[in-house]
Formats: sequence, C-alpha cells, structure tokens
Amino acid sequence: MTRASSLRRVVVAGGSIAAVTAAEGLRLQGFDGDITLLAEEDHPPYSRVPLSKGILAGREALGSATLPPVAGDVTVRLGATAARLHEEHRRVVLADGEEVPYDGLVIATGARARRLAGPGQTGECVVRTRDDATRLAARLDTAGSVIVVGAGFLGMEIASTCAVLGKTVTVVDRDPPLRRLVGEWLADLVVQAARERGVEFALAPDGVQLLGRPEVQAVDCGDRIATADVIVSAVGDLPNTEWLADSRLPLHGGLVVDERCRVAPDIVAAGDVTVSRTHGGPYRRSPHWTSAVVQGQLAAAALVHGRETPLPRPDPYYWTEQFGLDIKISGEIPHGQPPTVLAGDPRQGSALLQWSLSDRPVAAVAINHRLPVVTLKRLGGRAAGPPVMP
Amino acid sequence: MATIEVDRDRCEGHGLCEQTAPEVYRLDDDGEVELLVGEVPPELLVTAEAGARVCPVAALRVRR
Ligand SMILES: Cc1cc2nc3c(=O)[nH]c(=O)nc-3n(C[C@H](O)[C@H](O)[C@H](O)COP(=O)(O)OP(=O)(O)OC[C@H]3O[C@@H](n4cnc5c(N)ncnc54)[C@H](O)[C@@H]3O)c2cc1C
Ligand code: SF4
Repeated sequence: MTRASSLRRVVVAGGSIAAVTAAEGLRLQGFDGDITLLAEEDHPPYSRVPLSKGILAGREALGSATLPPVAGDVTVRLGATAARLHEEHRRVVLADGEEVPYDGLVIATGARARRLAGPGQTGECVVRTRDDATRLAARLDTAGSVIVVGAGFLGMEIASTCAVLGKTVTVVDRDPPLRRLVGEWLADLVVQAARERGVEFALAPDGVQLLGRPEVQAVDCGDRIATADVIVSAVGDLPNTEWLADSRLPLHGGLVVDERCRVAPDIVAAGDVTVSRTHGGPYRRSPHWTSAVVQGQLAAAALVHGRETPLPRPDPYYWTEQFGLDIKISGEIPHGQPPTVLAGDPRQGSALLQWSLSDRPVAAVAINHRLPVVTLKRLGGRAAGPPVMP
Repeated sequence: MATIEVDRDRCEGHGLCEQTAPEVYRLDDDGEVELLVGEVPPELLVTAEAGARVCPVAALRVRR
C-alpha cells in the first residue's frame, strides 16, 4: 500500500546531490504530484567532488561539475533559502517571508565549511562551494606559499592540488594526517607520497589559531608560528540545521534520521545534514557522496511507502585522490593493523589491499588499481548482490 | 530516441551509475563504465537519467 494518494505536494529543501537524488527518487517511486526544490545557491545543482581536485588545479572547467539538468516536471527555485519550518501548518518559510506549503518534506540542506577566523578577521579560504573554489583559485594565482589547516581528506586534497600548482605547502593539524579516517598504515603511505612532493607537515596538538587582523597572515601552531600567502581551512563542516532550530525536529549535531531516513511524520532527510545511530550507539555522520545518493533514494522511497520501505544493505564506499594516489575504500579500515596485499605493490604506487578481523574481511582499498566497485565491496566484506535500490 | 554520452576521460569508475541503474550501466573488469543499451528505450529513460545524475564527476549525459 502506498501513501502517495495523500501526498500531493513535496518540497525538497536543498539544491545538491541529496536533494536532486531525492526529487528524482520520488518520480522513480511513481510519485506524480508537484515537486519543488528550494536551493539557496544561485548555481544550478553541481558536484562538489571536483572542486578540490581538477577544478582547483585548473584542469577542468567550473561548468563541468554541473549535474545533468533536473527533469522538467520538477520546479527548481534557485536562490530560495529555507529560513524556518512551521511543522504544524506544513510550511517552509523562506528568507523573504514567503511561505511554501507541503504535504511531504525532504530536508537536504547539507553542510557548510567550518571556519576558524574570529570576528574581524578576513581572508581565510575554505572549499565548499563553487564560489569558494573560484576565490581560492584566484588567490593561488599570485601566491607562492599556502598553509592548509586540517589534514582530513579535503585538506589533503587541497594540499595536493596546491603542490601540483608549484606552491610551497604546509599542512597543519592537531592529529597526525588522515589517521583517524584510514588508520596508520594507509595514512603513512599517503603522507610519504605527500612528503616526496615537497609538502611539509606540522602537528599542533592543542589546536591552531589564525593570526592577523583584518587579513589573516599566519597560523599559531603552539610551538611555532607559520606564515604563508594563502591560508586555507579544511577543518570539517557544520550541518545546515539552523533553520530548524525553532522546530521540534530532533537535532544532535545534525538532523537525526532513522534507518529509513525518516525524521517525523511526512518528513524525511538525506545527505550531509543528517546524523544517525545504530543500536543506541553514538550519533554519526557519513558526509560522503555515496551516502548522499543512497540516502536520497531511500528518503524518497520512505516518504512514499513509509515503514514498508525495504532497508538497504549498508555498504560504505568512498574515495579520495591526492599526491598521485587514486584511493577507493570500501568498509571501515581497522586501526593499528597492516593489510594483506592482494595485488600489486603499495611501494610501487598501485595495489589492492584487504583488512580482516578474526578472519572476516572488513575493508578493501584499491590504490591506482582499477576494478569494478562491486568487486571491491565484496573484498571489503560487503555482499556484492543486487543494488540497494529500495 | 535518447542516447547516452560517456566522457571516458572523466569517468573514475565509482560505479554509482551502475548501482542506481543496473539495466543501463555496468562496470567492466577494468572498472570502466559500459553501456548496456545503444539507444535508450522510453521505459528506461528515467532510470538512465537517474543513473547519470548520481555520477560524482558528471561524466554521463543523456541526450533526449
Ligand atoms: C571540495 C569537496 C570535495 C569532496 N570530495 C568528495 C569525494 O571525493 N568523495 C566523496 O565521497 N565525497 C566528497 N565530498 C563530500 C560530498 O561532496 C558531500 O558529501 C555531498 O556534497 C553531500 O551532499 P548534500 O546534498 O547532502 O549536501 P551539500 O552538498 O552540502 O548541499 C546542500 C545544499 O543545500 C543548500 N542549502 C543549504 N541550506 C539551505 C537552506 N536553508 N535553504 C535552501 N537550501 C539550502 C545548499 O546551497 C546546497 O545546495 C567532497 C566535498 C567537498 C566540499
Ligand atoms: S558513476 Fe560516473 S565515475 Fe562512476 S562509473 Fe559511472 S560514469 Fe564512471
């Protein structure tokens, strides 16, 4: 049984991959009512993935990241910012006061870059939006040196691109680069490749502070002060939930969704804005492209079919490209343990790796090694099986 | 009828197209995307477009 009959108007708040996937997912589920996308940015939906890579490097044009246009029967309102939610009246209130009514709501407002600059400080760069990438590229044109604060995937990708562009690059973080994300073994391999390309690393266990006013010019790393022409922060992102603050929706460092991406009756959510937990564990985010897609599809199905929506099999998959290494990851890499090398040789820059716990595969990684992703997932302990479309 | 354009230089083999629309896209043994249809039959058009949309590097275009 579907509830589609009581659902005539769906509003999707957000304008990126989770939002457009959910809109398209609704059509694939047979929903034929009105769909309106409220998207804050003025650019038509685009992928952020190349912003820190080919686009920042100048290899790819900005427009090449634009996603294929959303089907004509979906109304896309660019420059429309959701400012408040009136749950009881089922309305999204826009920044200019306009009220947009809905029967069903998809929340996909994603996240924004966290910043370190204090009040009155300017010039800190981040890479989250097209406009951020354009601004940073312009600054890099005339810069000789760059400090990247944050050694997660994004910070390391930006550092890699800056190194390719011939800049002197220093990466600062309070933790050793990438370790929390991919464990010591793989992190060390990437850091080695970065060092070979001239990148320097600084550890600031107590965190950093940006110095300079108004223009930031240096980074206080605790035991030393580093200066550079350009300072880029890649210190994580903050879910865009402020517009929900007055609502009764559950917020725990993000919008809480259940295993079917449901938030409240007739409200679902997907992508970087969400947090979820399993079996009463901690709330976790999964801010990756694949999760935004899988959740967008699931959220659409759950809005139409409710609790009858089949659950997808979890199969985490993400990737990064940096320092000449094209790294694809399936599963969660256990810490403090070297992998089994299934093919290639990691020291030669190309390999297929597998991690196991108690003889059960839990993660697989391909480095500069092409293979079908379903094979990688199988090696990472995920059943290959049919796709997880609900 | 609609056709699909693949930008092979952009494709990085993430397989989201295949995961979303297995009737239309498949990754071969080298992880390169392969089209299972030449021209897209009308009943697969929406699926083909959904598969193209989820490509993180925007390597696929469905031309109606
Ligand atoms: C530079 C960069 C590189 C990345 N590279 C990779 C990668 O290689 N692999 C990977 O797996 N992931 C990568 N990611 C992460 C991936 O891009 C995100 O997980 C994905 O974009 C999440 O999509 P989303 O739609 O949930 O949120 P977002 O992309 O954050 O989109 C949210 C949308 O909502 C809009 N919005 C926000 N607030 C409002 C409001 N109040 N009203 C209306 N609209 C609003 C925003 O304008 C935006 O369009 C990268 C991210 C960045 C920034
Ligand atoms: S989703 Fe894009 S990058 Fe991935 S295999 Fe398909 S075409 Fe290639």
